[in-house]
Formats: sequence, C-alpha cells, structure tokens
Amino acid sequence: MCGLAHFFESEGLSTVLVGFVREHLEAMRPPRSLFLDFPMGRGMGKPNNPRFQKKVIRAAFELLDTNGGPVIDDFPEIIPVRAGRMGYALPPELVLSVDDVGNLDVVLAEVRSEMEALRPDYDVAVAARGRTTVGASGLAVEELAPFVAGFLGGEIPQSPRKGMAAIPLLKLVVEDLEAYYTETRTHRDRIDDLELMGEWFWEESKVGRLLLLLEAVSVASDNKVMLQIVEMSLMAPRFWSEGPLPGTSAAGW
Amino acid sequence: MTKISEMPAVARHFISNLDLTVTSHPSWTQPVPANERRVSIVSTAAVSRRGDKPFSWLAKDSRTFHKTDRDLVMTHVAVEFDRSAWQQDLNTIIPLDRLEEMAADSEIDSVAEEHYSFMGAADPVTMEKSARAVAANMKREGVNTVFLIPI
Repeated sequence: MCGLAHFFESEGLSTVLVGFVREHLEAMRPPRSLFLDFPMGRGMGKPNNPRFQKKVIRAAFELLDTNGGPVIDDFPEIIPVRAGRMGYALPPELVLSVDDVGNLDVVLAEVRSEMEALRPDYDVAVAARGRTTVGASGLAVEELAPFVAGFLGGEIPQSPRKGMAAIPLLKLVVEDLEAYYTETRTHRDRIDDLELMGEWFWEESKVGRLLLLLEAVSVASDNKVMLQIVEMSLMAPRFWSEGPLPGTSAAGW
Repeated sequence: MTKISEMPAVARHFISNLDLTVTSHPSWTQPVPANERRVSIVSTAAVSRRGDKPFSWLAKDSRTFHKTDRDLVMTHVAVEFDRSAWQQDLNTIIPLDRLEEMAADSEIDSVAEEHYSFMGAADPVTMEKSARAVAANMKREGVNTVFLIPI
C-alpha cells in the first residue's frame, strides 16, 4: 500500500493512507498516513457505524492539510485485538488427521443439513443488506461443500469453473462457505464479533470440521500445492497462531 | 498498540521478514484545498465486481468498480484479516457512502466515478505498471486525491 502511494504521488496525485502496522508506516514513509490500532479487515473501524467511519476518514483527510511530510498520525481510538493477533486464529491444538475422515457421505450429509437450516436466515440477511459477498467462486451455494468433499479422497477433482484450476477455486469455495455462514449469523443474531464468528465457524460448525479434514488431507497429500496452501495458511486461519501447524515444515513462512 | 514483536509466532515471523521496498526519493504532490478534492479510493482488498476475473494469488493487475457498485466479491488470497466486517457493511473497507455524504456536505468536492482494487498480498513493486495506468484514468476524470485503504 505504501508503495502504491509513492507511485500515485509521482503521477501528481495527492495520497493519504490508513495502515494497521505502525512499524511498516515508519519504515516505508508514505507521504501521509494514519495509523489505526484496529483488527485487520476493518479499515473504517466499525460496520454499520457511519459516525465512527467518518471520524476515521476525517482524521485521515486532515493529514492532507499539513504542510510537508512524510507525516504519520495515530487515530486516537483503539479497537482491541486479542493477544497481539489482529484476526481470528484456530487453537493450535485443534488439528484433525486423515483418520478422522470416516464416512465421507455422512460428513457431507451433515454439512448439507446444516447449510439448508441456515438458508432462510441467509436469505433474510441478503434481502436486508441488499447484497451478499458469497459468490467469489462462481459456484452455487449447494455446490460448495460437495466440491470440498471431492478433495477428501486425496485426489484433486476436476474444476467445474472454466478457466480456473481446482486448487485456486478451492480457496474461493472456502471463502464462500465462510461468508455464507457469517453473513447469516451476523445479521440474524446481530453479532459483530470476529472472534466469536471464527470460533463458531471453525470450531463448532459441521462445515468447519469438513475444512479441518481437508487441511488434514492436504498435509498428508503428495500434491505440493495442496501442502503449500496449508503451510502458508491460505485456507484455515492459523496465521495468528503460536507456531506452525504440526506436520508442516512452515517453509512458506 | 499491536507491535510486531508482540504478535504470535507465525505472524511475527512473516511480517518481520517482509521485504519492504523503501524508496530513496519519495514523491510529493501538494494537496488541493478540501473543497476542491475529487477523491478516488484504492483498496488492496482484492475486491471486484461479481463476474469479473478473480485476482490471482500474486496479481499485479487491478480491477475497477463504479461508485454505485455494491455487488462486489473478494478474491484475496490471505486469511489473516477479518472478513465479517465487510460482509456486514461495504463501507468498513470501501467507504463510498461516507464519501458521498461528505461531498453532499461540501467537506470534499466530489467522489470519483471510478475506484480501484489491487491484491494486497502481491509485491507493490510489481504493481507499478498497473498503478500508473490507474493514475492515468484518475487524471482523465479529474481526480486529485487518492484514499488508500488496506485490508
């Protein structure tokens, strides 16, 4: 982001940016930056809080009124993070193995049932917000879990999406599943708590278990890309954890 | 304040080992007064209009969306940031509604027609060509102020 600021400034455009890692702002010295002590993914701080969001924007835009720079300012309000981590992380001890897969038909049936039960509330949430972020994969909701289950036999299934290989598509399918669940709960239960949503999705839901089984199969896989997406924490949220996933080399980090 | 040294092990190792490209000759453009600011947002959230080509994992290119677009999806490769906020309210990461309100209140001049997204996981150095093309588009529509928002 800081690099982009330099490109735009050199083109005669004034820039102001917000950032979550103050040490990076200090090192890269973009012309004008506002440090936010917020969790990552919340640049304007709080969803559905126009007043707070506008405070962030105004604090950033005030930097456009300063003479000279680079200038870094600190937004005065803090949105606390847990134990230095700026997003949800799976508990390190929650690791499944390929022996936990069991009867895949049963696993998939449980996920389907869970997703169907959420459907009415998901539809209400979409109608209320006028939008959904589900759909990055391009697959229909009912196609998502079966596509993931297709990997649990240890083979890479055919991609149903033209122009996209199965593994990049898998990444987007995981995103869509999480969005389907959390869009539903955040609206239905009026929850805005990223830790609670992470715990529910990854530690309590049937689909979370399906994805942890996928992680276990990936670690045991001979396919280097499958192993890489686990080692680099591209699927399951282990980025903010204490130590790499057991069974991986952590070479990606 | 969250410090790199206090982050959990995996993140600390990754973030402290990032290759930060520090320019030796930082550029500087004098901002225009607030009431003359025409603002375009640049996000590194890898969002795009539904149906647009998804970002690749180390994408150098950008996507464009209109100020009235709300049907956006995200194809960012990283998992470390919270998605639940933008799922609830697009303005949490791309505050188009807030900027429109500020324009209506004359806090800024106007909101650009077009806004841009990059893949934040990629090395910014590789984005230079795309960034300069975006800058040319911005200047064509009279933008003078860029609001950069990471994810």
